[in-house]
Amino acid sequence: MDRRAFIKLVGLASVFSEAMVRRLLAAEQPTVAVAEGRDYGRATRNAVSLLGGMKQFVKPGAVVVIKPNMGWDRTPAQAANTHPAVVKALVEEALAAGAKRVKVFDRTCNDERRCYVQSGISDALKGLRNVELKFIENERFRTVKIANATVLKEWELYGEALAADVFINVPVAKHHGLTRLTLGLKNVMGVMGGNRGSTHRHIEEALADINSVVKSHLTVIDATRILTDHGPQGGDLKDVKVLNTVIASTDIVAADAYATTLFGLKPADIPVTVAAHRRGLGEMNLNRVRVLKA
Amino acid sequence: MKRITSARVSQLLFLALFLVLFVKTDYRGRDEINAAVNAFFRADPLVAASYLLAARTFSWLVFPGLLLLGLSALLGRFFCGWICPLGTILDLITGRIAKSAPLRFLRGNLKFWLLVPLLAAALFGVNLAGLLDPIAILVRALALFFHPLLGEAARQGWVTLYRVLGEGRDILAPGYGLIRNYLIPFRETFYPLAFLSALIFIGIILLERYETRNWCRNLCPLGTLLGLAARLSPFVRVPARLCPDCGSCRDLCPTSFDREILQKDECILCMECQLRCPSGRVRFTARGTAAANGPLLPGRRVLLGGLISGFFLARFFRFRDPALQARLLRPPGVRNEADFLEKCVRCGECMKVCLRSALYPAVLQAGVEGIYTPQVIPRLGYCEYNCTLCGQVCPTGAIPDLAQETKRREVIGKAVFDKNHCLPFAKKENCIVCEEHCPIPRKAIRSRKVEETTDDGRRIFLQIPYVVDGLCNGCGICEHVCPLEGKAGIEVFAVKDRSPLREGQGDAPAGDAPGKDPYA
Repeated sequence: MDRRAFIKLVGLASVFSEAMVRRLLAAEQPTVAVAEGRDYGRATRNAVSLLGGMKQFVKPGAVVVIKPNMGWDRTPAQAANTHPAVVKALVEEALAAGAKRVKVFDRTCNDERRCYVQSGISDALKGLRNVELKFIENERFRTVKIANATVLKEWELYGEALAADVFINVPVAKHHGLTRLTLGLKNVMGVMGGNRGSTHRHIEEALADINSVVKSHLTVIDATRILTDHGPQGGDLKDVKVLNTVIASTDIVAADAYATTLFGLKPADIPVTVAAHRRGLGEMNLNRVRVLKA
Repeated sequence: MKRITSARVSQLLFLALFLVLFVKTDYRGRDEINAAVNAFFRADPLVAASYLLAARTFSWLVFPGLLLLGLSALLGRFFCGWICPLGTILDLITGRIAKSAPLRFLRGNLKFWLLVPLLAAALFGVNLAGLLDPIAILVRALALFFHPLLGEAARQGWVTLYRVLGEGRDILAPGYGLIRNYLIPFRETFYPLAFLSALIFIGIILLERYETRNWCRNLCPLGTLLGLAARLSPFVRVPARLCPDCGSCRDLCPTSFDREILQKDECILCMECQLRCPSGRVRFTARGTAAANGPLLPGRRVLLGGLISGFFLARFFRFRDPALQARLLRPPGVRNEADFLEKCVRCGECMKVCLRSALYPAVLQAGVEGIYTPQVIPRLGYCEYNCTLCGQVCPTGAIPDLAQETKRREVIGKAVFDKNHCLPFAKKENCIVCEEHCPIPRKAIRSRKVEETTDDGRRIFLQIPYVVDGLCNGCGICEHVCPLEGKAGIEVFAVKDRSPLREGQGDAPAGDAPGKDPYA
């Protein structure tokens, strides 16, 4: 091989290497942990321990952000917000793993004061030390350039979410009028600033863009009860189905893909999941996912 | 420095109570507010009188006001000297304001020319009492201007700290949390008429340049009303006149003793003259029926003139711009505009308490006659589905105090799509943010899927939204969250028939089939 050919080879290799590395990593099969039980706190702990326990994610002294969906002025029974027991279990696990500080927040749709109270999360976290349940403060949003973005070249994202050592994404599984379901990928909208509604016109790509910069180190989907219709807000208990299930994964797309099946849908039915998979954010093909149950 | 007297202690306690209640008139993590500044209005005889004249029905809500009027007929104008927070503020400030000569034109019957037309207008169906009621003036100045100003200052400071300290600011977060949760308004809100509200209050303070308690003795309609009652009081001051050998009362008395005889309807019972009489002569004592000085009522001319002015006051300013009317949305539970004008005191409490800053004082939207009445401006803030605070704090029930389930079904207006702006109609783009936020469990905004071809030839499914009128309560969240810039693609319009949504709002009305174009 002469020098010229070698340089060509190196040049080409560098172009492909990123994709190759990613593929190599993906070869390690993504795992989705599924735990059931009426004790939602315990189910949550079980799901996390199937993945090796919270210590896998939270190192001593880490600052952890837990991002539930608590965007609506609805009670836990109405299944519009993440169940408080799930949130509390994760907070306690993170503390037990040695987290220096656990921050819990969401950019709500209804009045944030009412949402935090009605969701039951405010009560659930009361009295826990080194835990902050805090309101969004606009000055903390930072405009972030998104490399390789399809539609959102830049967006305002929440500084505390970006700065966290560990970002734990805790959506509730529910119906959504536009995206059919809202799960982990869409829950990340809660750290978006600005006019979020304007991203609805190309929501799949927009969510893939955002998820490419806000990485969920751990996604825990609350399917203890799911909202099957009139989401994302619901309100009618007839639309709520109790499944007593908690799903956890480090692969947000795989977690979403598995949760989709609980609604009797296929991952391919959810454009948000499809776009995220196409963009290399995770695995949506459940045949390639290892599912662990407890 | 004045000596601490019982009256002064009482004044300060009531001022503190007023301020505490004012700040407490807000969401504090519970659906119910156990105490609010409405207590002051419910004990306000002027509010009671104009309510009774206008609504012509009795309500227990205004009973404390009548009680206070009765007590004043027994004791005199003690409210002004012992309770009224505006009077207290004047007393606290007036010492620092140098006095020139009293303004002559304020003297005489001017106060009756304010009170009588105000009450007469109420008789003809327009309740204007709140415009000049001292408590309302104070609450509006605070709620619409000073309190938001305090909030803005605190918030700006907090944001500036972030710019300087970055995350290091977190150490101070608990302290700021207390301020944010218990002292300042939660949301940054700018109100129309903030300037006027502050100006009236400042104007009253500036009147102190001419004499002490200038507003209270020469203008205040509540004071005037209490003064009328006070004339019936059996308690009299002895001696009734200035003593020829002393005359200290002239300097001690904040209101009345610039004439020879104590003016009973102006005496605010501050007791300064009794406490500080050099010879210890002054007493307040019961004398059976008192011989009031001067006639009980102002002259026939004032009464008749006031009545006629009140009539005209209630009739002159009724013009309403229909375009503005179409968007005049009243707080939830208000079903009838005429009824509302009879009861609303325009105190601004509902605006202060509104969770999402949805309520604003009308400037001209309700005609001149409706100035300061609350209206919902959805683009600025929407009515929170589960919130019932405005009804809870309304002192007169103009906004009814409703249970959550009832309030949810009350109709504020109806949402209407504007196909020229709304994205799926106008630009073939999916959106549905309005449907997403609609709080009605079965959704008053729904959509149907329509296959469309984009300009570059792609086949897409568009979700075309529509409103189910029978389910829409006009809360305005759709208009509020519409992601279009400026004008929203969906807007809430006022409707005459505001009968509540049917119970179990899950039920979709007959004839509502998905796929049917409601605009066809």
